[in-house]
Amino acid sequence: MFRVAVEMLMHDKTKFLGLLIGIVFTAFLVTFAMGYFAGFMTRGFALVSENPSAKVWVMDPAVSSAEATINMSDSALDSVRGVAGVEYASPLYLGDVTARYANGDFQSFQIIGVDDATLSGAPLPADLLHIPNSVIVDSGGTEGKLQTPIYKKDMWSYDGSHLHAPTRELRYGDEMLVNSKRVMVAGISHTIPRFPPRPLLYTTASNFKRLIPGEKRYITFIMVHPAKNVTPDELAKRITRTTHLKAITSEAFKKETVMWFMINSEDVGDMVNMVILAMLVGFGVTGVMLYMFTYENLKQYAVLKAMGASTKQLSDMIFTQVFISALAGSGIGVGIAAVLEQIVSSPTFPFRMMWFAPLVGFLGVIIVSMTAAFISLRPIKTMEPAIVFKL
Amino acid sequence: MNSIIVSCKNIVKTFNAGEAEVKALQGVTLDVYENELLMLVGPSGCGKTTFVSVLSGLLSFDSGACEVMGKNIADMSDEEITAFRGKNIGFVFQAFNLLPSLTAIENVALPLTVAGEKRTKALNLSKKMLEAVGLGKKAYVKPSGLSGGEQQRVAIARALVHNPKFIICDEPTSSLDHTSGQIVMELLQKIIKEKGASMIVVTHDNRIYKYADRIVHMEDGKIIKVAS
Ligand SMILES: Nc1ncnc2c1ncn2[C@@H]1O[C@H](COP(=O)(O)OP(=O)(O)O)[C@@H](O)[C@H]1O
Ligand SMILES: [Mg+2]
Repeated sequence: MFRVAVEMLMHDKTKFLGLLIGIVFTAFLVTFAMGYFAGFMTRGFALVSENPSAKVWVMDPAVSSAEATINMSDSALDSVRGVAGVEYASPLYLGDVTARYANGDFQSFQIIGVDDATLSGAPLPADLLHIPNSVIVDSGGTEGKLQTPIYKKDMWSYDGSHLHAPTRELRYGDEMLVNSKRVMVAGISHTIPRFPPRPLLYTTASNFKRLIPGEKRYITFIMVHPAKNVTPDELAKRITRTTHLKAITSEAFKKETVMWFMINSEDVGDMVNMVILAMLVGFGVTGVMLYMFTYENLKQYAVLKAMGASTKQLSDMIFTQVFISALAGSGIGVGIAAVLEQIVSSPTFPFRMMWFAPLVGFLGVIIVSMTAAFISLRPIKTMEPAIVFKL
Repeated sequence: MNSIIVSCKNIVKTFNAGEAEVKALQGVTLDVYENELLMLVGPSGCGKTTFVSVLSGLLSFDSGACEVMGKNIADMSDEEITAFRGKNIGFVFQAFNLLPSLTAIENVALPLTVAGEKRTKALNLSKKMLEAVGLGKKAYVKPSGLSGGEQQRVAIARALVHNPKFIICDEPTSSLDHTSGQIVMELLQKIIKEKGASMIVVTHDNRIYKYADRIVHMEDGKIIKVAS
């Protein structure tokens, strides 16, 4: 009967191909949507990811993401450093600035200040931040936003801005003004792109304070590296207990950030809705197609029943057909998504196939298909077997 | 007289097609004997197909009694009746009803496959059966590659491959031209005599009446005449 089921499935090549393409498409769509979503989310906590040695993050108790922050007082650093089990702790200053390029154009940046001595948190070429008033510039997932004029005559000219002058990418040695203070580009880094995308300026804490003076509180995060004898989890709890600041492990912080985006970001909310919609549509199409496939073969099942095939035999046939289609279809679909990941994943196109993407794509299709098979059993069970006599 | 293989008493079947009631069978009483070729004839819509559906257990009926090979089919569960039918009844349909995805020989083997017979044995038996209907050479051709007459001969081989005691043919020649129809009927007659089974042939084609042992005339859901 297995053979009969397979022959029946493969008989009409066009129909089978249609069925397969439908399932491939669904599996692909679901996997891809999940991967796309995961890609965005990965970028949402890029700041945490690019500091892998910081196993514990300390912040104001009200902060619940790497995206929306409020600062702590400078004394927080000392209190954290005073907690047993803290191997070292470095501050991270976050702020938003608008910089002016030499042609008079401007661009907003997120500015990230790092500890002067260790430069912990700064990307390569971090050492160049020791040059006074220097910054490292990063596109942060944007494109074409780091532009300065090609010609000297268009730079800082006395006759006003030269907004339409030809431009080129920023590079070492270029100058910008931040809050009317001159900074020098010490290098261009290529860290993890941000979500939402935005250009970044990395600089030292002292330069940060020079560019954004007069604040009462500067420290946004304290990155903690635990000593050998304590787990990040324990240390986080200990810091929370003794300092009344919020301390969590980097992994927990990433998860919180994702949650925060899902709840607070409309863009992410839209994205989640689209992923769910894609899944529902795909799953619906797959289910309906499988159901229709069985339904169209109803008379053949009636013939088999006339020849003594039990309901169990008939349902085994349907499950065989559905399982083969689902397995092949979702395998190919997830495969295509994986290949596409290699091709399209780029700084401007976030895509990350995490473990759950193929799983949801694959299992989702299998589960939906099996459900469709169950529903397809109904017409088999309720059919009037006397239809075999009908023309 | 031979012994009785099918015995129906006062079978009533009414279809409820929406508002309208169709009294398809209005008290049909009929016995079918061993080794006979019984023809069930009458105008279209008189209830012939309904009657054979009932006595093959493919359709439930409202009242009356129907015994097939000593078993009261109303007493059997759906699963029991399906298994019983698979073992004891062969079918030939007007529309042939071959599975388009299977070759002729695989189609013939279906009753054996359903019964769980080993593939090689099933195919061997089917090959012999196909040869008996004169289609040994077309064993590996799919239905789409066969003429109507050939398809019906494959269907006959399928109806007989598992040696059922009772064979039901619903308008076996209606989809065929005259010559193919004659070939099919001769084949049915020959095989039934060789194998010693009983057969009901439903038809409204009076050119094939000559093959019948007995002709039962139906009209408006009733038997109006039995002729030998
Ligand atoms: N499934 C059904 N539902 C409703 N009416 C039916 C059904 N099957 C048959 N009938 C009606 O029952 C009557 C007898 O049909 P049938 O047994 O097929 O006639 P025959 O085979 O003699 O041409 C017809 O009036 C037909 O329309
Ligand atoms: Mg009929």
